[in-house]
Amino acid sequence: MKQPDSIPSDKQHLSMTVQRYRPEQDDAPVWQSYQVPYDDSTSVLDALHWIKEQQDSSLAYRWSCRMAICGSCGVMVDGTPKLGCKTFLRDYPKGLKVAALANFPIEKDLIVDMNQFLHHLTALKPYLIGQPSSASEPNRQSPEQVKRYQQFANCINCGLCYSACPQFGLNPEFLGPAAIALAHRYNLDSRDQGKAERQPALNSKNGVWSCTFVGFCSTVCPKGVDPAAAINQGKIVSTMDGVIQWFSPKQLDTTPQEPTS
Amino acid sequence: MAATKRYQRSDEPIWWSLFSAGGVCVAMLIPALIVLLVFGPWLGLLSAEALSYQRMSALLYHPLGVLFIGAVIILPLFHAMHRIHHGLHDLQWAHSSLAKWLCYGSAVLLSLLALGLWLLGVFV
Repeated sequence: MKQPDSIPSDKQHLSMTVQRYRPEQDDAPVWQSYQVPYDDSTSVLDALHWIKEQQDSSLAYRWSCRMAICGSCGVMVDGTPKLGCKTFLRDYPKGLKVAALANFPIEKDLIVDMNQFLHHLTALKPYLIGQPSSASEPNRQSPEQVKRYQQFANCINCGLCYSACPQFGLNPEFLGPAAIALAHRYNLDSRDQGKAERQPALNSKNGVWSCTFVGFCSTVCPKGVDPAAAINQGKIVSTMDGVIQWFSPKQLDTTPQEPTS
Repeated sequence: MAATKRYQRSDEPIWWSLFSAGGVCVAMLIPALIVLLVFGPWLGLLSAEALSYQRMSALLYHPLGVLFIGAVIILPLFHAMHRIHHGLHDLQWAHSSLAKWLCYGSAVLLSLLALGLWLLGVFV
């Protein structure tokens, strides 16, 4: 069979150990090693493609864009959450271990069930609420207004921060780094009027208050978002919100309900 | 439609605010005090007489001395117990509300003890 052009077989090789889990035959995940050819431009995702095409077509993993924008190819590389397409074999000359993202249930091999994350994301309504833009007038924002939230707008929902978060590992009900960072992003947006709808979830035990500022979420983020900063700014917002509510006269309760399954 | 329950506001803002205030005291005030009170006389910044028992107790039992008790004992107590409470959770040694009561309860009790001793010094 012809080798893919990106990885000629006369290149140097290293040992890539991949976590396998085939629910129909494995009781628990097992490790399988492959000798993989690589050069300076070979990413972990390229190597997975090579294994699937040349060695073992049963290997299952998610991927799409190959350029760190779709957020599909998150895996643990030597125990650290990384995007497969943005991690290069040249940085692991002694070999590497690739596993499914931590803190999520494994479906097959490197594919995890991200539903818990998507559930949390939905609960925090990460989209503009209120003030529909009219057809003739665009919503204007000053550079300062854009700057307030722009840093938190680069999230690609890859879920690496959830794999990095020990609190999410202990308590999957914790809304978690990416969802809270996105809620914060929309709360900071001058065009948005949805803060009152998001705040009750953020104020709850499983909102910003489950975070203990470990900060690993921000370390692993492949897009330079700083979810730890968003959550801890969110703690100040939640505290202020509490103080205002405790000193406000009682009003009709219109707090959103928490969906339970 | 799925059953719904109300989001319950966490009481964590109270403990976190005390933790944060205590953290500022632990990080900024206490090292400064250690430098001043421990190394001050040694470095010649303060005379030993300035730290005499009479002078120091007069300072402490001044009505504003309560600020010192708050910043050096009470807030750092809440800071420490907050860390211990969350540390116990991280180590999965204690998830219960009992751990929370014990942690913040001991901070409250020790704070009351400090305030009581201070009041005793002021009025007796």
